[in-house]
Amino acid sequence: MADRLLLVEDDPRIRAALVLGLTDEGYGVVEAGSGESALRLLDDDGAFDVVLLDLMLPGMDGFSVCRTVRSRGDLPIIMITARSGSEDVVRGLEAGADDYVTKPVVASELAARIRALLRRARPGRPESTLIRAGDVEIHPDRGIATRNGEDVHLTLTELRLLTELAQAAGNVVTREQLLERVWGYDYFGDTRLLDVHVRRLRRKVEDDPSDPTLVLTVRGVGYRVAG
Amino acid sequence: MTVAWPVRLRRVPVRTRIVAAFVLGSVAVPSLVALATWNLTTGYMLQQRQDSVVRQAAVNARLVDASLAQNSAGLGDLLTGLASSPEAAAFVREQDGWYSSGTASDGIGTDDVPAGLLAAVERGDTARQRVRVGGIPVVMVATPLPTSGVPFVEVFPLRDLDRTFRFISLLLLGGVLASGVLGGVLGRWASRRALRPLTELTAAAARVAHGDLDTRLPVRADPDLGPIAAAFNDTTADLQARVERDSRFASDVSHELRSPVTTMAAAVEVLARRQDEMSPTARHAIDLLDGDLRRFRRLVEDLLEISRVDQGASRLSAEPFDLGELAAAVVARSHPGLRIEDGCPCRVMADRRRLEQVVANLVDNADRHGRGLVRIAVRRQGPCVRLEVDDAGPGVPVADRHRVFERFARVSDRDRHVDETGTGLGLALVAQHVRLHGGRVEVTDRPGGGARFAVELPVGEDR
Repeated sequence: MADRLLLVEDDPRIRAALVLGLTDEGYGVVEAGSGESALRLLDDDGAFDVVLLDLMLPGMDGFSVCRTVRSRGDLPIIMITARSGSEDVVRGLEAGADDYVTKPVVASELAARIRALLRRARPGRPESTLIRAGDVEIHPDRGIATRNGEDVHLTLTELRLLTELAQAAGNVVTREQLLERVWGYDYFGDTRLLDVHVRRLRRKVEDDPSDPTLVLTVRGVGYRVAG
Repeated sequence: MTVAWPVRLRRVPVRTRIVAAFVLGSVAVPSLVALATWNLTTGYMLQQRQDSVVRQAAVNARLVDASLAQNSAGLGDLLTGLASSPEAAAFVREQDGWYSSGTASDGIGTDDVPAGLLAAVERGDTARQRVRVGGIPVVMVATPLPTSGVPFVEVFPLRDLDRTFRFISLLLLGGVLASGVLGGVLGRWASRRALRPLTELTAAAARVAHGDLDTRLPVRADPDLGPIAAAFNDTTADLQARVERDSRFASDVSHELRSPVTTMAAAVEVLARRQDEMSPTARHAIDLLDGDLRRFRRLVEDLLEISRVDQGASRLSAEPFDLGELAAAVVARSHPGLRIEDGCPCRVMADRRRLEQVVANLVDNADRHGRGLVRIAVRRQGPCVRLEVDDAGPGVPVADRHRVFERFARVSDRDRHVDETGTGLGLALVAQHVRLHGGRVEVTDRPGGGARFAVELPVGEDR
């Protein structure tokens, strides 16, 4: 069955163009013209694989929609921002988005991002062995992480990020490597994507996120897990 | 008031002219005063002295006269006694010649007495005259003796008076000079103070010319200077508003263009995927559309990027990375196999996304306008990291080396035989990004032909 996308975009022309392009790429696309109608659609029919979310929406803005969706679960979100260099990107990522594209959006590029994101959600070969990082245990077979026996609610991207770091077993993983392995970017990924996700991850697995003891920064190079 | 300066003077800087006027004024007035003082003082003192020596000579003449009448043999002693100082002297002419106060060594003899003086005595008058004898200023008084009528000449030295005069003249001259120097210093200070608003105006205008449209002058309460600053500030504010309006327009236009671009791109992609089902003509049409649409999309993206900085809405998100690695990654995309000359580690603290655009645009420029990229080098140079991108083209003429970084600049020779798929904003974006990082970009000749675009970036603080 085709992956189902929820496209939240207020400009009807852009919406129509993306529906055309993404449908042609083989996705099932459901449209929403506002944040409110998007949340209604998610309530009525939860069977979406990815949400494509324009940040500039009339009424309830994209950031609020993003936070609401995230509070309900780990449904992957790609945000559509007006400008790549703006603060919106960081704000959107902080609100829980997994990745972003900038306008003007080209359907084929958006499709590539969606594919990378869905690969993350369904790893090709399930690794059944338990991976340990400090007091956090990752269960790749179940797609969850636990800390002291309790479930840590990680999004798929956060889980993938932690897995990559944990598999390096204390060695440094460079920012470029992480961007490539987690998001599928080549050298030119936006490192803010990584930095914000690390911040989000730390909030969930560290006792004191401002003084991390598990996910450590290696200045100017990348990250590693303690151990 | 308008002063019509002679043409030659107009070439002299205003500051020099102000200083000169101050010096002139402060020398001229004290000079006049000094001259008057000199004349009055010396005239008066000389008159006093001369009157006193004439009186003295009259008294002495009576003494000599009495001595002669008694036919005293002590005339020589008397004369010697009258000449109280070595430079003084007294002479009396008797039938057989001159009697003198005697000593020949004092250098004053009867030969020194001016003939005019003796002639006056012959006529029965008393006369006085100032002369210099052996370099010594003296006044000679000649008078006929009351009874015998023979000439009596007395010489009074004026050395002390002369010394006083010299002292006064030095004093006055020194005063005039001091006043002149003071005037010069005052003039310098005044001219600097008077011209400071102009100096500030010049500096501010230069900053505006360099693109810093936020420049404003402090408005002073001074009614002469206030309006200049206010006028300058108004003009700059107008200019800034206009530039902002223009860039907002460009930004608005490119924002508006995004949705048609999205529509067209999606539609063309759908069509391009079905090219196999199309006739050759339709396929060709789709190819053309696709090519131009890509360029159009890049243009819209570049316009958005460039107008964002214009509107001041742009922030650098600086992070540490190696510029050599970034350049290698960019080059690998379009020129696999070209090795980058990497004299590094060349870590910089900069905005990666922007620098990627810088390198990509320079490489693109070399391919598009310079008959291909031939060399790319990154190395550390002092406090900077230097990136050089060389091409094999005709180079950029010296006259166009600034213009080439302007938006939509078309440099005639360079662009005669190039494909027209560039956006015209590539190098302008390079310049803008580099400037934002506090670096600089220039184009020179590559040794051996071609153009060399060089970017220098400050290394920046590692966080």
